[in-house]
Amino acid sequence: MEAASAAEAQPISELADAAGIAVETATGAAFELESEGYLDVHEHTERSASLTEEGETYLDAGLPEVRLYEAALGADADEDAVPMGEVIGRSGLEGPEVDIALSNYARKGYGAVDSGEITADPGITTDDDAEAAALAAIAAGGEPSEDIVDALERRGLIEVSERTVRSVELTEAGAEAVEEGVEAAAGADRLTPEMLATGAWETAEFTEYNVEADASRDIPGKTHVLRETAENVKDVLVGMGFQEMEGPHVDADFYINDCLFMPQDHPARNHWDRFALSNPTEMDELPSDLVDAVESAHRNGVGADGEGYHSPWDEDFARALALRGHTTSLSVRYLSGLAAGELEPPQRYFSIGKAYRNDTLDATHLLEFFQIEGWVMAEDLSVRDLMGTFEEFYRQFGITDVQFKPHYNPYTEPSFELFGRHPETGELIEIGNSGMFRPEMLEPLGIEADVMAWGLALERLLMLITGAEDIRDVHGTLCDIEFLRNAEVNY
Amino acid sequence: MPVVEADPDELRRLTGHTEKSDDELKDDLFALGLEFEGETPEGDFELEFAPDRLDRLSVTGIARSLRYQYGDERGVYVPDTASPEWTIQVEDSVPDSRPYVSGAVVRDVNLSREALDALIQLQEKLHATMGRGRAKGAIGIHDVTMLRGEPMYAVGESGDAGEATGKKVTYRGVEPDGDTFVALDDDAERTPAGVLESHPTGQEYADLVEGEERYPAIYDDIGLFSFPPVINSRRTEVTTDSRDLFVELTGTDQWTLDKMCAIVCYALDARGGQIEDVTVEYPGRTVVRPDFEVREKRVAHERIETTLGIELDPEATVDYFERAGLDAEIIGLDGGTGYEVSVPPYRTDVLHAVDLVDDVGRAYGFNELVPRYPDVSTVGGRSESSRFERALRSRLVGLGFEDLLNFHMTNKAENYERMRVTEGADILGGGEAATIAEPYSEDYTMLRTWVLPSLLMVLENNTHREYPQDLSEVGFAAEVEESLETKVAERQSVGGVLARHDASYEDAKARLQALVAGFDAELETPATEHPSFIDGRVADVVIDGESVGVIGEIHPAVLVEHDLEVPVVGFEFSADALAE
Repeated sequence: MEAASAAEAQPISELADAAGIAVETATGAAFELESEGYLDVHEHTERSASLTEEGETYLDAGLPEVRLYEAALGADADEDAVPMGEVIGRSGLEGPEVDIALSNYARKGYGAVDSGEITADPGITTDDDAEAAALAAIAAGGEPSEDIVDALERRGLIEVSERTVRSVELTEAGAEAVEEGVEAAAGADRLTPEMLATGAWETAEFTEYNVEADASRDIPGKTHVLRETAENVKDVLVGMGFQEMEGPHVDADFYINDCLFMPQDHPARNHWDRFALSNPTEMDELPSDLVDAVESAHRNGVGADGEGYHSPWDEDFARALALRGHTTSLSVRYLSGLAAGELEPPQRYFSIGKAYRNDTLDATHLLEFFQIEGWVMAEDLSVRDLMGTFEEFYRQFGITDVQFKPHYNPYTEPSFELFGRHPETGELIEIGNSGMFRPEMLEPLGIEADVMAWGLALERLLMLITGAEDIRDVHGTLCDIEFLRNAEVNY
Repeated sequence: MPVVEADPDELRRLTGHTEKSDDELKDDLFALGLEFEGETPEGDFELEFAPDRLDRLSVTGIARSLRYQYGDERGVYVPDTASPEWTIQVEDSVPDSRPYVSGAVVRDVNLSREALDALIQLQEKLHATMGRGRAKGAIGIHDVTMLRGEPMYAVGESGDAGEATGKKVTYRGVEPDGDTFVALDDDAERTPAGVLESHPTGQEYADLVEGEERYPAIYDDIGLFSFPPVINSRRTEVTTDSRDLFVELTGTDQWTLDKMCAIVCYALDARGGQIEDVTVEYPGRTVVRPDFEVREKRVAHERIETTLGIELDPEATVDYFERAGLDAEIIGLDGGTGYEVSVPPYRTDVLHAVDLVDDVGRAYGFNELVPRYPDVSTVGGRSESSRFERALRSRLVGLGFEDLLNFHMTNKAENYERMRVTEGADILGGGEAATIAEPYSEDYTMLRTWVLPSLLMVLENNTHREYPQDLSEVGFAAEVEESLETKVAERQSVGGVLARHDASYEDAKARLQALVAGFDAELETPATEHPSFIDGRVADVVIDGESVGVIGEIHPAVLVEHDLEVPVVGFEFSADALAE
């Protein structure tokens, strides 16, 4: 009230500034004071206009009908009627602009169009064109008359927006009250410790807030969206009885590939696909019993009618160090007894770890990604157990109707690619790879029981669930932190 | 996974099922394990296939698999072969790097344009898979009518040459510039070395033979007609008019060559061809090819039932084997029922009894199996370090940090130079880099030795985003350490940066204090020197008496280098300092 004046109406925003309070508070206070007769609140609508894209174009190039007129003058249409085609050609108008020019030409008195010929009224100054002038005025921030504004809006050259501006002035009663001195405590803006201590809160009246208005942005700490997904997957797998594995990212090719019954000349084992290291280059020693057993499996197979690969075997290659192309190297370390001692069935193990592939880096591929890997060891396992286990996993992520397509891996037989229905699009998409580990892999590791295994890229699962489209947003240094900040929490 | 093209109309014709729609065909192919990827402009199906069934690299092979699947064909089929007229003689001069040979003659083949294209596709796909890019095995196919074999004579009783018994070609080693021929798609006579230099195909495969003293070459009576693994001569080029074909294979492994040869023969047999044997004369032994040996493997009935999880009748099981293109005889095995299964020569994937079980499963239809949750009890749990890291990240998030997940691979400029650190210096981040031999690009040549550079790069990429930016990462870092088994020391490192217009050392220290206190550890920060930080505003992070990291105000040179316009404070230390 103190900021308001009896002499003139002032906009509430100005008063709020002067009084040092929020606009919302001031508005609320103004209405309250009005109901008590101390203030008059006036509302009026303010219109403001801005040029559309088309408007901007004509501001620069000139209104089409003006250009047509100038071209017509240039063709001496003020003396004789000139064929329209000639004038239009002269004007440089094209396409829809021609129609616009013609429809406004006669209306604004620039001349006449009749039977394909055009005449121009002499003596008109195009600078007098009211609409062009209005466009320029609006662009400069001024306010032309309402008729012109309506015309320009109808032509789609400007956009008009309205807002309500409230202004207040003191009534006579209000002016008197200010003279007598208004008690500020009557309308409390804020509850303070002092009010609590003195008991002044009991008589205070708290001004209404505009509780609907947005507050300023708070940026909280936040778990990375992919980590969160990894934790959700861990919850599910732990809930299904799986123990977590750990192991090195840099490892010998022996553990990454040879122990998996991958022939040494397999296409995926060259530098196009894997990241061999140049420093350091190889592991000094491998357990010789295990090496012998694995080499024998490669050369001769296992079992009564077993056959091996017709591929070279070189222990030096087995010792070469590389970034693991899959986390199945961890499964090998555990199954062989090296990581957690000799394992007897039943066992369930999983890991979510980085795998590195020399593939490509684009919207759907990364050079390093997270692989979900899980395996189950039991005395007798069947393909049905494999299907049942992994169906359950996907069900917990809302992916149903899982189909198993027969597939091939060098280290599993039978093998299946898993397909599931996308939770949103309903499309059938690949969601994993699985199989029963081959005897040629298990026997050298000393395993007699059956082992079934399955894997999937974590990023793929996340992108399926959230609909994210660019894998670089959800993993790696090329991220946009705004994406991470806004990523929906998923549980 | 490689892709093979197959004309759906040909599939309909070859399987005799012209009533099948495109969608029905796609479903049948999916059940075989061939996934539809798209269509070529000519309307051929592009099918992604798996490399265990290389016989399906040709449309005839796919059709054969479909006929078995439909039940229109059953059991093992092996084409008849006629007795040999031709010999491939292998001379001592053949380079040691490519000693083996296989081959066949195929007569009366119907080669339409489509059939010839399919044959070429089969050849190329076999080269790419089993042939290991032609290094392990390469196939040359020639028009027999353009060959003139050297006559071979039986030696008469008196020692003179008797009657002509056949024709031969010789596989020998030739000097790089020792002879000339006109290669396919060429117009001039060139030496083998000349072909490697000037012919596009020669350039592509040059590294397979370069460096040898002698190059592989096959000769008939006229001259050089095949330069494996590179290219054939134009003289023996196969066209749609060719009816009799000479197939030769050379490489480093006999079994591989024989299998490739068998697959080609089966494909040509399906085009009406009559297979004729060839004799291969090595110095010291003679063999007859193609090798259509049918191998026997045994599998126990119980194993099939256990692996598939169903009960089966032996008769039904024999039926499934036959529907997979195998033959099976019920036998006694290991005290129970078993099968002796005959495997045709185009099967390269049957190494063990499990492969037979897989065939039964596919014939039965894996999607007919009802999934069941195994009655196997195990207790699950996270690893200790996993639980610890989760608690650590939780605390960082509680302190207002945006948790990041950055790449482990980086390059020397990012990891060292842009941070003003020298590789090998005895400071945080100075460790020796584990480097990649053939990197994808120069951006990713090593494993990062510390996490702060990644955080600074994220700040660099996000200067258009709202401040303050408080970023942290609990992530992998590694450096060379020869004493370890893998020679690389891998650790989890905790890094944090605060970027804002008024960032100060105290802000970082406050967060670090709160973080460490949460794990009931003691923190000290004695002054130190580190080139990435401002002198006099940097300290060692000492947790429970051990120096494990650094904290300070980032040096302005580093900030300017990263195009940052706000001050940044940060810290990094080894995560396990806080673990129990």
